Amino acid sequence: MNLRTRGALDRVFTVLAGLSVVLLTLVLIGVLGPMVYRGSGAVLFGGTVEFRKMQRDLFKRGGSEALDAEIAQTEEARREVYSLIDTFRKGIDIEAISDAARRINRDFGEELRFKGVATERYTELRQRSRDIRDQLEAAFASQDINEIRTDLESVLQSADDPAFKGTGAEGYFKLAKDFLNAAEQVDLSKHHEYKASLQEVEGILFGSTERPGLLGPRPGGPLPPLAMLHYGATRWDQARQLLHQFKYRQFWVEAEPNAPLVRREEPRAALFAGTSLEPLFGYIQANAEKMLHPRFTVYWQYFLDDNVDSHYFGGVGPEIIGTLLITVLGMAFVVPLGVIAAAYLVECTADNWVMRIIRMSINTLAGVPSIVFGLFGLAFFILFLFPRLGFEPKPCILGASMTLAVLTLPVMIRASEEAIRMVPQSFKEGSLALGASKFRTFVTVTFPAALPGILTGMILSLSRIAGETAPILFTGAVWIGPMAKSVFEPTRTLSRGSYGIAVEDRLAMMVPHNQYGMVVTLILLILVLNAMAIVLRSRVFKKLKGQ
Amino acid sequence: MSSLMTPPSDPPPVETQYLASPPTEDRGKATVPRPGSKMDIMATAQNRKATKPLETVPAGEQAIIRSERFSLYYGAKAGVKNITMDILPHMVTAIIGPSGCGKSTFLRSINRMNDLIPHVRAEGRLAVDGQDVYDKRTNLVNLRQQVGMVFQKPNPFPKSIFDNIAYGPRLQGVRNKGQLQHVVEQSLKAAAIWDEVKDDLKKSALALSGGQQQRLCIARALATRPRVLLMDEPCSALDPIATGRIEDLMEQLKTTYTIVIVTHNMQQAARVSERTAFFYMGELIEYDRTAKIFRNPGKKETEDYVTGRFG
Amino acid sequence: MDRDVTVALEPAAEASPRPLALTPGEDLLGFVGAYLGRALLLVVTCTSVLVVFLILVFVVLRSVPFLGGYDLTKFLASQDWRPTADDPSFGALTLIVGSIYVSVAALVFAVPVGILAAVFLSEIVSWKVRNVVKPVVEILAAIPSVAYGFFAILVLAPWLQEHFGFTTGTNALNAALILAVMALPTIISVGEDSISALGRELREASYSLGATRLETVVKVVIPAAHSGLIAAVVLGMMRAIGETMVVWMASGNATQIPHPWWDLSQSIRTMTATIAGEMGEAPDIGGVSHRSALFAVGVILLLMTVVLNVISEYFLSRAKKAAGKT
Repeated sequence: MNLRTRGALDRVFTVLAGLSVVLLTLVLIGVLGPMVYRGSGAVLFGGTVEFRKMQRDLFKRGGSEALDAEIAQTEEARREVYSLIDTFRKGIDIEAISDAARRINRDFGEELRFKGVATERYTELRQRSRDIRDQLEAAFASQDINEIRTDLESVLQSADDPAFKGTGAEGYFKLAKDFLNAAEQVDLSKHHEYKASLQEVEGILFGSTERPGLLGPRPGGPLPPLAMLHYGATRWDQARQLLHQFKYRQFWVEAEPNAPLVRREEPRAALFAGTSLEPLFGYIQANAEKMLHPRFTVYWQYFLDDNVDSHYFGGVGPEIIGTLLITVLGMAFVVPLGVIAAAYLVECTADNWVMRIIRMSINTLAGVPSIVFGLFGLAFFILFLFPRLGFEPKPCILGASMTLAVLTLPVMIRASEEAIRMVPQSFKEGSLALGASKFRTFVTVTFPAALPGILTGMILSLSRIAGETAPILFTGAVWIGPMAKSVFEPTRTLSRGSYGIAVEDRLAMMVPHNQYGMVVTLILLILVLNAMAIVLRSRVFKKLKGQ
Repeated sequence: MSSLMTPPSDPPPVETQYLASPPTEDRGKATVPRPGSKMDIMATAQNRKATKPLETVPAGEQAIIRSERFSLYYGAKAGVKNITMDILPHMVTAIIGPSGCGKSTFLRSINRMNDLIPHVRAEGRLAVDGQDVYDKRTNLVNLRQQVGMVFQKPNPFPKSIFDNIAYGPRLQGVRNKGQLQHVVEQSLKAAAIWDEVKDDLKKSALALSGGQQQRLCIARALATRPRVLLMDEPCSALDPIATGRIEDLMEQLKTTYTIVIVTHNMQQAARVSERTAFFYMGELIEYDRTAKIFRNPGKKETEDYVTGRFG
Repeated sequence: MDRDVTVALEPAAEASPRPLALTPGEDLLGFVGAYLGRALLLVVTCTSVLVVFLILVFVVLRSVPFLGGYDLTKFLASQDWRPTADDPSFGALTLIVGSIYVSVAALVFAVPVGILAAVFLSEIVSWKVRNVVKPVVEILAAIPSVAYGFFAILVLAPWLQEHFGFTTGTNALNAALILAVMALPTIISVGEDSISALGRELREASYSLGATRLETVVKVVIPAAHSGLIAAVVLGMMRAIGETMVVWMASGNATQIPHPWWDLSQSIRTMTATIAGEMGEAPDIGGVSHRSALFAVGVILLLMTVVLNVISEYFLSRAKKAAGKT
């Protein structure tokens, strides 16, 4: 090989090696970037008036006159929407208006009987009412505009009849007029299409039984059972999506035979061209902000709030508390054990078989898969130990933290060992030479000097077990459930929640910001703990080297 | 700068001193004192620094540290072999020798600091005040309180100056604040550092300069009121001025304490000590009055070493 | 001046109040304290030994009803895992193969990148660059596995499905990619340690003979550090095989062995994911039951990691010796 090829190969190698590190960085950005970006949406977003209403109702937060005024303003802006839809509905909802006609007939009969009119007159008026009803129904059922006109005109002739003045029968004429107006404008052959489309529009605007709409349920109507359906779009990004859905109808078509279906969009307004509903589309696009009042919101309470309707609303407060409870309790078990073991391993060094077995055990323990710790925790702590201690053998915080303590024992021992080894030998010698016993030396000199290092190891262990999921799946973490009242109850944790919200929850899939928010909270918690450890460690280094 | 200045405590050049001191009569005699052999001649000999002649004493009774065929092994390797020597009270005994010769090992055997190293094994007898320190019954805590030590690198604890000095007394159970204050002050005065730190005893000991730290360590060792002070190359990490101060300090301390100093600096040994032992390859080659070792060594190796013709 | 300071400390007591020699009888408290204290510390230190012992005992104990009552060859060689059927069948071959398959696939991605990065960090760049890159590796290692799993199922899976036309995005490729990322920090840090532990003399000798960096790395450094690098790979393998959440979320959990074998786009299922996914629904009844079968799978997993652990220990101790020699 000549020199040039060798040089070139060398350069290629250097570049490749550099690329591997670049790749690592890209992977880190690629993994964290999308999650952090989407997760930040759980805290930072454009909150609408619906969000503030929800906060007031569900979390007792921020109710005030200003909010009432704001709600009144938005209601004002929304009124036009309601009236446009109601007007349109009168023309196309045949069953509804037929029902209305029948009800008027019935009510009119009751009215007459109540008034106590003479039998003959009663029979006559009843008959006329029935005729009007029949005529109306015929008109409603008809798709021929001329027929409708004739029918309705004959109905309206009775409008001035004093017999009907001031009675419930006046409703007939209002129905007839409204329908005539509507019928003049719409293509009556499209009745059913209109009806289906109107239902879709109403679903998008007012919510369905499955998902909330843009504006929330109409005021005065019955409230749906789920709290999430009581509100419209609480976030402006959500609102924009709904606006898009409102503006464009989506459907799937087969572009080519045997190819996957392709999504197409078409403006929804075209469906209602020429009808009284057409202005609605322009109105909503133009007035969306007036109806929702979006405002940039920092929802820091996300880290405190409990969730509502399976993470549709609310935050991850109980998950954070649960995670901290389990990890801190776990640390309470593992720190004394780990520090003592480390001290023994460093200070009482003897290369005998006992030490070798201890070292081997620690290494083995470090390699055991986390799920096996879960099995062990279930089999030993919960099913074996708890009944013998008089506790109920069920998954609980205590079981989970003990399992995590066992899992993190090797990490803690190694970290403390390193910290204790880093204490200069001269400190120990100085103390021993002054006549301190080994124990005394450790307690008064070595341990204080190693403490920051041990703390660093502690925080690292903490961050390690805060993210563990597999060991606590069967030993104390649950996906949904009440806040734990004692350590003998299971708890929600961020890690278990991150799994659940990604895989098991259909409601949360509608709100990706809350899905990502949970996992980003977990990552943040761990990165903050790590950053603390790194800062602490560098300060320890400086302190020990500075002298 | 500082290296050009003559330290205030610098003694006159070594050669002049030796020429000035009277010739010794015991030239040619066995230089390594054997147990039971008479030490009279050596003890009575006028030392350059001794202000009054040392009393004639029978060695066996007066020696504060007595080593008989003492060997120390690290596993299979011998650190020191077959050392037999008596160290006399109220003097400075210097141990010199090339690095790796076992001089530090021997020093650290006296207060059993070598115990920190795994697989250490001792043979023979090494006694302090007649008590074999490697005896099973020896109480290490009491031993180390009586045999203080100053290390090569100053090693103050990362605590305040006061807490550093009070560490030893507190170990002995002194809790009384006034008493501690007294001991701290006395020790710092004895170590000639009181004037420099008296205003700020709460300051971290790590903030002191190297020379101050070393004197602080000496004060810390004195605060336990030991009888013997072992110094393991106490000046190797210090500049000449600081070294001069420590040497002055040793001069004062030897009236009260027995000092054993390991040094690689022959001038220092010559300046401060009354007795000098030369170690080579883990063995004691020669042990005699300092003047004799430097002016008229009995062994070829010693002569080669002190004249700098070594290796 | 120092000379003016008089030695003010009272002379040390000639006869010490504290005798140098104390018999155990005289110093009963100290004697008992020292021995008891030491014994107590030893006991505490032995907790890890106890835990390892307990893990073995309890996981094995729970699987004994199954291992005793079920045909072992069927358990290890059958591909039929139908634990909840009326006529249940517990053939764990698919799961064992799945675990190994996805871990090996992960290593195929991770090892070249990891070793290149380890070489880069220890041989090529300055201390400064190292200090910038190290946190990247540390953060990669710190991200919890459930977050990786979350990423796999919600970000990577749809992306793979969209861009590669796979029928499902949760498949062996997805799991292997994520496992590779998770194994990388282990491989890099152990590999880098073993390369850095080599003395400078080796490299200097090679460079002084006119070798380029590539030649030095390939012909001198890697052969000299091979024990440590093998240990790094084995430790990476351990990390991958023991990982639960990622494979559970990303691998698709289909009980099948990919066919053809190189087709990573198929879903697979591992031992860890099976335990995690099914333990919650497996009732605690005696005999050959779903639950005891899952514990038996745990025993296999445990055995595999113990074997890998022994291998890694062996290579690590060899690497230590090799580094000691140079």
